[in-house]
Amino acid sequence: MPLYSCNAAKGAIDDAVKPKIAEDITRIHCDVTGAPPTFVHAFFFEDAVHQPLGDKTAFLFGSIRAGRTDAQKAQIVDEMRQSIHTHTGIPLDEILVTTRDTPARWVMEGGDLLPEPGEEAAWLAAHEAKLAAASTS
Amino acid sequence: MTPCTCLVQAGQIPAATEAALRSGLSDFAERAFGAPAEINWITVPEKGGFTAAKPSTSALVTLQADAPVEQSRRVALLQELCDLWIGETNCSLDEIVAVISDPQN
Repeated sequence: MPLYSCNAAKGAIDDAVKPKIAEDITRIHCDVTGAPPTFVHAFFFEDAVHQPLGDKTAFLFGSIRAGRTDAQKAQIVDEMRQSIHTHTGIPLDEILVTTRDTPARWVMEGGDLLPEPGEEAAWLAAHEAKLAAASTS
Repeated sequence: MTPCTCLVQAGQIPAATEAALRSGLSDFAERAFGAPAEINWITVPEKGGFTAAKPSTSALVTLQADAPVEQSRRVALLQELCDLWIGETNCSLDEIVAVISDPQN
């Protein structure tokens, strides 16, 4: 977590540009929030029924940890929308980007509850120590 | 029914393993929340999954509880859920993301 799920009309986002958009999604999320890149998942779909496009050509939906400010979320939305536009040529008004808050305490990743925003460094250190201990036992 | 969504990478889960996971998740949901899982199994297309901007091997499984879950119980359920997934798939601990959410509007 976060999970960014991108649905688009068939052929609107070429496979070749998905890694570039995923890289932007990861960079933007980490720059804005301070989260580590290993937390960031970006999944791409075409004409997926679970994430209807409505009248849009691309719809990026981010499930992010609760606790981010409105300004952070607005920056994420704006920059990710621009990234999709830049890499695909899809007009900005045909790209929808939204986020939804998910409490960190609801999510387990790597066998540990996710940290609250701002507590990532301590979490990563403890997590890596745990994995190292497990690998030597 | 207990809403359950599984997001998996294309080609990663053989059919027999998927069947075992579906069965295990449904049993888990019934024990935990009193109703079997209604599973929305979603496969991320090839070349469509990225974690840390690299090709992803991660799976995400989400269950929505029927009532707010006390946190210590949630942690135990999340651990059980991860164990179930790892036991069936042999994935590593870092490849499974589990979510147990409270009811949402």
